[in-house]
Amino acid sequence: MDTNTTVNYQVERKRYYKVLVGLLLLTTLTFIQPYIYHAATFTSQMLIAVVKAWLILMYYMHLKGEKLIGATVIFSLFLVTVFFVIVIGIDVPNFQNATESHITSQVTDHAANTAHAAH
Amino acid sequence: MAHAYVPEIATDREGNEHEVQGWQDDFYGGKLGFWLFMLTEVMMFGGMFLALAYYNTLHAQDYIEASASLNRLLGGTNTVILLVSALTMGLGLLKMRAGDVKGAKLMIWATIILATAFLVIKGFEWRAEYNHGVFLGLPAMQPGNEGSLPFGKILFFGMYFTMTGLHGLHIIIGIGLMIWLLKRINSEKVTPDHHILYWNIALYWDIVHLIWVFVFPYYYMIGGGDIVGGVAHGH
Repeated sequence: MDTNTTVNYQVERKRYYKVLVGLLLLTTLTFIQPYIYHAATFTSQMLIAVVKAWLILMYYMHLKGEKLIGATVIFSLFLVTVFFVIVIGIDVPNFQNATESHITSQVTDHAANTAHAAH
Repeated sequence: MAHAYVPEIATDREGNEHEVQGWQDDFYGGKLGFWLFMLTEVMMFGGMFLALAYYNTLHAQDYIEASASLNRLLGGTNTVILLVSALTMGLGLLKMRAGDVKGAKLMIWATIILATAFLVIKGFEWRAEYNHGVFLGLPAMQPGNEGSLPFGKILFFGMYFTMTGLHGLHIIIGIGLMIWLLKRINSEKVTPDHHILYWNIALYWDIVHLIWVFVFPYYYMIGGGDIVGGVAHGH
């Protein structure tokens, strides 16, 4: 990335507005997506968010062409993804303490019912 | 003096003096350091998203119903406001780099106004939710009370207020940083030739925007259904 002040203002400004239009279109898609493809709302919403994030990172945060910083960001995102895969992909589907854990409805609803019965 | 740099001198065994390399104007180093800070922000919000996704997996239906009750019109308006504010901040930096200091300052003020509008709208949204009995600490948000929300919804709204609150705190910090930046520009400590502070504050504002890019769909859109949403007719 250049560190000096020589910047082609007109060209850069045009790029900023193009990205803005792209982000606005994707935001519109975020709103209408549940009405056009309701079957996979969560996945679709997250995919749109990832595309928006990529545009912001590359053009607004000037990551395009940055080798060292870009590699650092990719490595960090990889680590976050690994945690998500382990916890959400492996751990939660094999949750074995549903009858004991206080983050599931079974225990909490049972406790609530017991409290109401006591009243 | 703003950036008067007095070089450090090292003397070797023969008594010869050598100027030590100074890193005061290391633009790339300043940028890299700020990126490392932003990665800690990603870790913090990443951990919160992980908890959110964990509870979501266990209480999928409650999450969808709770999401459907949020006000998507206000949330969407805030999304567009942040989007435009990222543009004004970026254009301001561009103006500064091109030597248009006055234009850069105007763009910072525009960003501050948009950030304040975001907070005001968020305040109205939280107020409506509070008036509807949905807020941290209220009886409906605690399991075991009469009229308590289903447990999954309590978790959803608990995470919602925590994450949007923390995001709001970042917006407030951003406004403070922008005011500080204006002060530094006025005292000519940030100039077209020395704009690393501006660059990094613009990066900070982009990460605040980036976090919202994921917060908005996760909270407001996964229960997409009716046009507007809103607690007033959601429960």
